[in-house]
Amino acid sequence: MLAGVALAVLAAAGGAEAKVKLPAASTNAAAANAPAKQVKVGYLGLTNDPRNAANLTFTNIQISPPDDPITGAQIGLSDEAIVAGANGFTLSLDAQKAADLADLVAKAKAMAAAGERFIILDLPDDMVDQLAAQTKDLPVTLINASAHADYLRNRCYPNLVHTAASDRMAQDALVQYLRTRNWNKVLVLQGPSPRDKVVADAFKASAGRLRLNVVDTRNFTLSRTPDSQENNNALLVTGGIDYDVIFIADSDGEYGRYLPYATQLPRPVVGTAGLVPAEWHWSWDRDGATQVTSRFLKATDRRREMSGSDWSTWIAAKAVADAYGRAPDISDPSKIDAYLRSPDLRLDGSKGYALNFRSWDGQLRQPMVLATDNAVIAAPPMPGFLHQTNNLDTLGQDEPEHKCQ
Amino acid sequence: MMIKRFSLLCATALLAAVSYVLPAQAAGTGLIFVSNEKSNEVLVLNPQYEIIKSIKTSHRPRDMHFNKAHTLLYVACGDDDSIDVIDMGKLEVVDSIPTGPSPEMFELSADEKQVYVSDEEDSRIEAIDIASKVSVLDVPTGAEPEGILAASDGKTLYATSEVADMVHVIDLPSKAVTKNIVVGTRPRRFVVTPDGKELWVSCELSSEVDVIDRATNTVTDQLTFVPPGFREEDVTPVGMAITKDGSKVIITLGRANHIAIVDTKTKKVLSYVLVGKRAWGVDLTSDEKTAIITNGLSDDITIVDMASMKPIKSIPVGRTPHSVQIDD
Repeated sequence: MLAGVALAVLAAAGGAEAKVKLPAASTNAAAANAPAKQVKVGYLGLTNDPRNAANLTFTNIQISPPDDPITGAQIGLSDEAIVAGANGFTLSLDAQKAADLADLVAKAKAMAAAGERFIILDLPDDMVDQLAAQTKDLPVTLINASAHADYLRNRCYPNLVHTAASDRMAQDALVQYLRTRNWNKVLVLQGPSPRDKVVADAFKASAGRLRLNVVDTRNFTLSRTPDSQENNNALLVTGGIDYDVIFIADSDGEYGRYLPYATQLPRPVVGTAGLVPAEWHWSWDRDGATQVTSRFLKATDRRREMSGSDWSTWIAAKAVADAYGRAPDISDPSKIDAYLRSPDLRLDGSKGYALNFRSWDGQLRQPMVLATDNAVIAAPPMPGFLHQTNNLDTLGQDEPEHKCQ
Repeated sequence: MMIKRFSLLCATALLAAVSYVLPAQAAGTGLIFVSNEKSNEVLVLNPQYEIIKSIKTSHRPRDMHFNKAHTLLYVACGDDDSIDVIDMGKLEVVDSIPTGPSPEMFELSADEKQVYVSDEEDSRIEAIDIASKVSVLDVPTGAEPEGILAASDGKTLYATSEVADMVHVIDLPSKAVTKNIVVGTRPRRFVVTPDGKELWVSCELSSEVDVIDRATNTVTDQLTFVPPGFREEDVTPVGMAITKDGSKVIITLGRANHIAIVDTKTKKVLSYVLVGKRAWGVDLTSDEKTAIITNGLSDDITIVDMASMKPIKSIPVGRTPHSVQIDD
């Protein structure tokens, strides 16, 4: 089915069939006379990225389907192929996977040497960090589409922007929602992985900003040995204290999926289980989202629903295509990059707002969705959370708080 | 046909125990039709704004158009891939024309033999022969085609692609796209000035309406809107209507919960009028004294007096009202 997407790109961008019906009759004379310029967009992933593997638990039960977000980038480029055609260029994805950091750096250098100006990254936090550091001098902008750590936004790499939402953006979105519900007393449950601490800390920072009361932070474990029962038994780990809502940070997902409906007090669960913040959820049905989701389903042969990372690679590809299509002068790569980072960029992410990148940390400002299994309950920024320049900047680190570290 | 419609209306009026007054100009019934996307119905209101009937349709009814004689009302139903046909005498769906996936907006050809449809999920514009219900023309477009407008020359069709941010100019005799005009982000709908010179396109996410000069197919003006208390990025223009003399354009501003009434010549906003949440569709009565707006997120319609440019009242309708058409 992916081949189908690629074919669609070709057809719309200048295949024989499309040329009859949709000549790349361009708005500018130069494009009409010159042969179509080929724009290649780089894409780097990790071979055997554990984040994209099928999350199998005991007896082959799959918590989430395998989740390689490359399809998002492919759809993003195929969506934009016709625009490229009208502007006298073609778009293609140069997608590669690398085994380790050295391989990543080598591949990024090769992409730059081949004239690729933008590389979309589907890499874990530390890989993004090190790759950005080691490719600082290349004339390439890296677009981080799946690493959420806030520290990456504070590194201030000149060659790095982010379409993945930061942890802080996700947690600010959740906290705004809890605030509107007056669920002020929160019990935080934290798992054993380092990522769980990062997520819980981001939540607590957000909770601090909007003055929610974190009544306790407790560690949970999957171990059922008698001496760990205080941290394993759902009744005990949620008992002996009063709260309005439970926040759980469980990147593994195995503990979290058994927590809702199993708590000592009849309270909702939010965080990595229950009500979950993300860039996207398949059940979002406003702002043309349904069409995006169904293009995605078609491209994956209905194997899986579109996730937050799929949205982030999709919007990254669209951002690059839009910059090439609208920059005043595409013969000068630095102007394309400047356009991509400028407030003139008005990206349509099917979330109802025009999107562009924050000047201080390269983060794509965007609404978040708070979703259950099959419904988006809210899409923060919540009404009433206002900002002096752009309400989307109530999510994530705002300019005055931002420090390069 | 006219007589038949009046007698039926009298009967309906009696049943509903409301006094029905013939509209002064007697050009039509004065009935107001509202398509409700989520309640799968076209709601019928009388000129006193009372709901007199709910016509059940296929799923997700959106754009609507009358035939010239106003004997039929066509309704595009996005989730059932069809255009339902409502008989204005019976006020019932009497036929259905199959379309490609997810039809949203459409236009009737000048001879009313064909319907031009944008198939949102298939990235193409098709023409369907109404009598045989066969698709006779198929033009690929950018993703999510939406707005569609058939020029009065009968030869040119304009379509927007919401994802590609462009207006496709389609030459019907040669069945080809002859020009792609890059416009603002997420272009939605069209109006054309009565002199045929200007084509206005609402661009939802770049908060602007682009004016295209039809002679040169270039964008000559970009109009932006900032109602009091809003920022430019809150403004998402979608629906448009133009007066018969071409002097004013009404633009619904979506999430900014206002409409803008614009002087066509000077391109200046004459007034912003507060309506309901996510102002979407708009239609004018034929005497142009009244505009009716559908508000997609407050499930109501707002009646606007055009002389004072003030809202008169809002009336609750079904879930997610999309379009409004007035039979007068």
